[in-house]
Amino acid sequence: MKRGALLFAFNSPKFNYFEMAEYTAKRIEHFLQLPVAVVTDEQSLPEIPKFNFDDIIIVEPDTSNIRDHTIWINKGRYQAYNLSPYDETILIDTDYMVNSDKLNKLFELPTDFCCHDTTSFLMNPAVVQEVLSVYSFKTLWATVVKFQKTERAKQIFECLEMVQKNYEHYGNIHSFIGGVYRNDYALTLALRIANGHTSIKSDIIPWNLVHVGKNTSILKDHDDEFGTQYVVMYDNWKRGKIRKEYCTIKDTDFHVMNKENFVELMSE
Amino acid sequence: MDTKTLIAETKARFNHNSSKAQLRDKYDSKLIVADQGGLWRADQQTISFLSAMDDNFVILMDTFDNPVQVNRDKLLIILKDTYNKAMLEWYKEWKELEQKR
Repeated sequence: MKRGALLFAFNSPKFNYFEMAEYTAKRIEHFLQLPVAVVTDEQSLPEIPKFNFDDIIIVEPDTSNIRDHTIWINKGRYQAYNLSPYDETILIDTDYMVNSDKLNKLFELPTDFCCHDTTSFLMNPAVVQEVLSVYSFKTLWATVVKFQKTERAKQIFECLEMVQKNYEHYGNIHSFIGGVYRNDYALTLALRIANGHTSIKSDIIPWNLVHVGKNTSILKDHDDEFGTQYVVMYDNWKRGKIRKEYCTIKDTDFHVMNKENFVELMSE
Repeated sequence: MDTKTLIAETKARFNHNSSKAQLRDKYDSKLIVADQGGLWRADQQTISFLSAMDDNFVILMDTFDNPVQVNRDKLLIILKDTYNKAMLEWYKEWKELEQKR
């Protein structure tokens, strides 16, 4: 059974996602020893990529999503099932920092599809779990998704396509703002629909997705290319004053929500 | 600017609770084991239960809430091994953390 990682990378006016994918791919290769394929478009693909991808899959991007007054190409994730060259795939966001072999454990899980439903924010344990709306479900996260080429996984991705194409409608039903398309919300709904409007415990990755969230920045605390030690700085607001706090982490994978911070980590 | 200087200049305080919580997150995932068609946590409760039983095959609920029949000895060996490795690493990191101020 062929295993690999798949990244989606479409440059926006603000960020070079292809460069982020190259950086993440290097770390995947180093820590997980997996081949990496990338889905991108002609405009994002450089003449000579810095990473030797196992496969570069060119698609026509869907540029209809706008966030912060700029194009954000995050639609079309449902194509992962058909585009993946692997029998077993880990679909990873380009801003996910791989620092360990933890994701290889996903291949051992007795399930053909799984994703995160619980997050923990570094330095900020009080953050509540996100929900689509107060009337709706707990959000699932599309940051890391493992799937196999099975009929059920295919149905989940087909549902994801259906939800993407009718996102406003689902926004109305579940009382979330449908203006900006989010893969996390679409996945939450698609997985439930594909499971007969229920949730299945084995579809959930049995550990938390670690986020670097608001008021938090992360700094490299190593010199070598594949070092895994970082300092996490947090602005703790108390009575109108900021108290700077920090902790150190090592060998820990994390998702950097602040793209500027991720770019800093790439370039340091 | 290196991180030590930055920490000193911003007068940032080391947050023990966050570090402790982060270590728990990190090592909790290392205690997870997939074996014999089920998903298990190499925790004190499961290891104690398997040790207390004396049949070759036992049925126990895995973390997905499915009853799974397992070879008790085989699972016990794997869980003990996983537990010892993860806890030893956790303990080492915890001792380092305790010394930080």
